[in-house]
Amino acid sequence: MRISWKQWSQSGAPWVWINAGAVAISLIMVLGLLGVIAVRGLGHFWPAAVMQADYLNEAGQLESLIGEPVSTELVPAARLRDAGVPLNTDKSEVSRTLLKTGNRDLFGGDFRWVISDHLQQVRYPSLLMTLERREWGNFYGVPRQLLEGDKPVASFTGTDSNPQNEQSWQLLQQHIERSLAIHHEIVQIEKVEIGAINAQIERLRLQQRSLQLQGEASPAALAEIDVERDQAQRAYQQLQDKLTRLYQQANRDTLVVEAANGKQLNIALDKIVRAYRPNAMHLGQKISFYASKLWEFLSAEPREANTEGGIYPAIFGTVMMVILMTLFVTPCGVIAAVYMREYARQGLLTRILRIAVNNLAGVPSIVYGVFGLGFFVYFLGGSIDQLFFRAALPSPTFGTPGLLWASLTLALLTLPVVIVATEEGLSRIPRSVREGSLALGATKWETLWRVVLPMASPAMMTGVILAVARAAGEVAPLMLVGVVKLAPSLPVDGNFPYVHLDQKFMHLGFHIYDVGFQSPNVEAARPLVYATALLLVIVIALLNFAAVSIRNHLREKYRALEI
Amino acid sequence: MRNEAQAIPIRTDINSAAYLDLSHEKVALQVEQLKLFYGDKEALHGINMTIPKHRVTAFIGPSGCGKSTLLRCFNRMNDLVEGCRIEGRILLDEANIYERGVEVAELRRRVGMVFQKPNPFPKTIYENVAYGLRIQGINKKRLIDDTVEWALRSAALWDEVHDRLHESALGLSGGQQQRLVIARTIAVRPEVLLLDEPASALDPISTLKIEELIHELKDRFTIVIVTHNMQQAARVSDYTAFLYMGDLVEYDTTDTLFTNPRQKKTEDYITGRYG
Repeated sequence: MRISWKQWSQSGAPWVWINAGAVAISLIMVLGLLGVIAVRGLGHFWPAAVMQADYLNEAGQLESLIGEPVSTELVPAARLRDAGVPLNTDKSEVSRTLLKTGNRDLFGGDFRWVISDHLQQVRYPSLLMTLERREWGNFYGVPRQLLEGDKPVASFTGTDSNPQNEQSWQLLQQHIERSLAIHHEIVQIEKVEIGAINAQIERLRLQQRSLQLQGEASPAALAEIDVERDQAQRAYQQLQDKLTRLYQQANRDTLVVEAANGKQLNIALDKIVRAYRPNAMHLGQKISFYASKLWEFLSAEPREANTEGGIYPAIFGTVMMVILMTLFVTPCGVIAAVYMREYARQGLLTRILRIAVNNLAGVPSIVYGVFGLGFFVYFLGGSIDQLFFRAALPSPTFGTPGLLWASLTLALLTLPVVIVATEEGLSRIPRSVREGSLALGATKWETLWRVVLPMASPAMMTGVILAVARAAGEVAPLMLVGVVKLAPSLPVDGNFPYVHLDQKFMHLGFHIYDVGFQSPNVEAARPLVYATALLLVIVIALLNFAAVSIRNHLREKYRALEI
Repeated sequence: MRNEAQAIPIRTDINSAAYLDLSHEKVALQVEQLKLFYGDKEALHGINMTIPKHRVTAFIGPSGCGKSTLLRCFNRMNDLVEGCRIEGRILLDEANIYERGVEVAELRRRVGMVFQKPNPFPKTIYENVAYGLRIQGINKKRLIDDTVEWALRSAALWDEVHDRLHESALGLSGGQQQRLVIARTIAVRPEVLLLDEPASALDPISTLKIEELIHELKDRFTIVIVTHNMQQAARVSDYTAFLYMGDLVEYDTTDTLFTNPRQKKTEDYITGRYG
């Protein structure tokens, strides 16, 4: 039995296919996007094998190379010849490999393109190690000797594993652990304890200054401040002495290493974050290494111009900013919507107001950034400084971009979404329920507060969800009102007043931009761009998930009357 | 006491229904020359009537005759309708409820209302009944517990819900919801209970229960019921008013009105010639 085209199209089947196709395309795009950034970002943390080879270099000489192969591509031979690379092949295309050779202090760069065919005797000796350092990027090479002061305590021979090397490697790891512990202590003292003293000294300075400004700087008061300052200075001196001792301890050990070109180098253990031998690892070790790298990415602070280490401050900043934004925008949006829907006379003015609100949603975000800078930062912040923080002037307290202003700017940006969603929700509450409440002797306000608003709360949450989704991904306005490449400290710490809304902060979205485009070391940073992008998506998804689950809970609770 | 009541001459034309002698009844509501306008359109044309206390009074009439509108005047629900204007007076305890300075919320506490469609709040059964008390600022748990039980028992719902008071009211059936709404309304102990077609959205068995309930409640409350269903009016009410096109055509004891109507229009309506 044949079905004609006409019958088929009348049956509606083509439309079903078109709809299904559209859904499938959207799904594939979303999954593809997530897949690409997940694979590229997450692969970065896997301990890649380190290769050693003899390379016939551009000058026609054999050279020893050590490095991680990153990627391989085919390029036209002619192009390479034009660039002056001697090729002894008649193929039109040759493959070349990007090697991460590290050792920036020796070679000037981290990466090197090599012609794959020119690599000879490729081997993976098990003593090859990767050193993650606090400066100069990774080091690839072999360890030679471990020194305690000037005294050698362990030595390595050859490039392969043997009992003596294994023993020395264990000893090296123990020494690295010791130096990491000392380093941790130093950071703790510098950041937390000295930070607290600095905050106290600054507070005393401001106190003195404001006394002088008010003309109440009596000698007695000043003397009191001086006493306190002396105490702080003494505490600071003690910590400083302790630090000096710790630094001496940290500088005790040195590792002598040998790079690919045979050059020996002394690296202070204090500068080493991690030493590992990827070629000697079995699968279990690789997995646990991967997990620890991933954890470092999530929980540590960035190093080396954001191209190494973690992004914890950026995660913290993003989440905190979004939460603050939600705290600002929800009450404002809800109150505005209640007024427009419930109290205002529905006339021309209300219509114009509604159109204006809807149009606000379409204003480009950078415009909000400019407004935030001009109004919030310079005008509001400047006035606040004049009124409450005179003592600190001319250095601004709130009159400079910061977390508070960024949250407020984004709150403004997302306000229309919340207003529109809440109005929509209010208009859907059945009249019969309102009348039921009014007929029991409730006033309009009581009806709103006890019946209508709870029933409209899922709609409000819908608005908040949309607001969060938009705000968490916004970068442009933030660059004007408070985001920085590297914030020296988190906006929440142990010093009074504990939450520092005036501080600048880091943000995942801006971090992506900064690492991807402003980094001195683009090749090294690229995997981090993907990883950070993946994390941003996950953070937004989690924030949304939290909001959605609250909404579902409310929906269940205030399930509106059917019909 | 206000004496303006005498100032308006009692009209003896069609809207006064003067032939009904209610002198042996106590008065719950007194309607005097009530006119209601939606914008320019006059929807009620000067109604005069007396609602007797602790009796069931039914309003019948074809759709759009103004019976619901009149009912909603008794607790000023029409205030919510934009462009709605009222002339004349309604006296509750000899005080005009349309007087300036009358607390509308207070009035609605004294004159409760149940609507056509059950409209429980999306709260628990208990909280639905307690709502009116909480609005009045009553927070004593003992008192609220007692009142909730009393109201639910009065509304013949207690036996069905006493073991699930703290579940959502939206899980009840339509008939149960309507009895819950009645319980909610009587929990604030109003003087007058307005029922606006309370059974029209319910099945016959639920309707029967509501009718039995009305019968039991009339000892304690003055009940005014609007209904489409003439049998229902005949079954539950003591007095019946027939409204037509915004006029009170006939108002009499239910027996007289259904068996021996004075007006031709009433007779036509109850015999089903129009409506």
